[in-house]
Amino acid sequence: MKQRITRTLLVVVVAMASLTASAQVKAFEKYADMKNVSYVYISKYMLGMAGKMATPAAVPGVDVKALASKLTGIQIITSEEKTARTKLKNDVKDMLARDKYEVLMQIRDEGSKVDIYHSIGKQQSVVAMMVDDDDEATVMVFSGNFTMDDVMKMTKQ
Amino acid sequence: MDKLNLEELERIPIPEELEERLSKKIDEWEQNEKQTTRHFLLPRAMRYTAIAASFALVFGVGIHYLQNEEPMNLAEQDTYKDPVKAQQEAERALNMLAVNLNKGLGHLEKAKALSDKAENSLNKQLKALK
Repeated sequence: MKQRITRTLLVVVVAMASLTASAQVKAFEKYADMKNVSYVYISKYMLGMAGKMATPAAVPGVDVKALASKLTGIQIITSEEKTARTKLKNDVKDMLARDKYEVLMQIRDEGSKVDIYHSIGKQQSVVAMMVDDDDEATVMVFSGNFTMDDVMKMTKQ
Repeated sequence: MDKLNLEELERIPIPEELEERLSKKIDEWEQNEKQTTRHFLLPRAMRYTAIAASFALVFGVGIHYLQNEEPMNLAEQDTYKDPVKAQQEAERALNMLAVNLNKGLGHLEKAKALSDKAENSLNKQLKALK
């Protein structure tokens, strides 16, 4: 009986493995139609289109090209309303803890709190940045097939 | 007529060891049949892989159709239809990430510089004491 259950589980796990690849960042999709929260999604297709007409980086000392070419999507979630901001922050923290993201950097500077998390995988990598200012909370989720080296290359100028 | 035939048949002598030979033959046929059936069965691991592949196929096709039926999912739609605006927003986001990473690393370098300074000062004092 125990063997039969194990075999059934094995079959289900193998079958489901093909479906989990794109499920990771879907956790943030629920903000798409949430009240008082603005949600921006830029797909791989649109990033590719944008890449074709790329211009030099606007910020000196920053090279975003290394990472931009390896991204499959960007999600930007913003809220100004106090209750929505609190909910957004708590939800994101829960999600990051549940999906085992690791803290990359935490910056507390001039009333602004910035937390950067990462989850580097073989099939999909994600860097999530949460910026909490006095009047606005923003979460940016960068997903794609990149390594930590690609992320850190942006700073080596 | 049937009765007569039956009676006649009963009178025919049954050869010795007929039952034994028949039984042996039947066993032989059964054995052959089992061997033939085994040839057609896949090994256990292959069967489970086939089942898993079938599940994956069914789920994959199902999800593909579901996604096609719901093109209005807000989260999966590009916010910008204009690539220029998408590029501007993507660059803004990436620049913000890079600037914050630089800021964090800058603090790290400052901390390192302070630590080096303290270490040098300590070394100097230790040398003076010697």
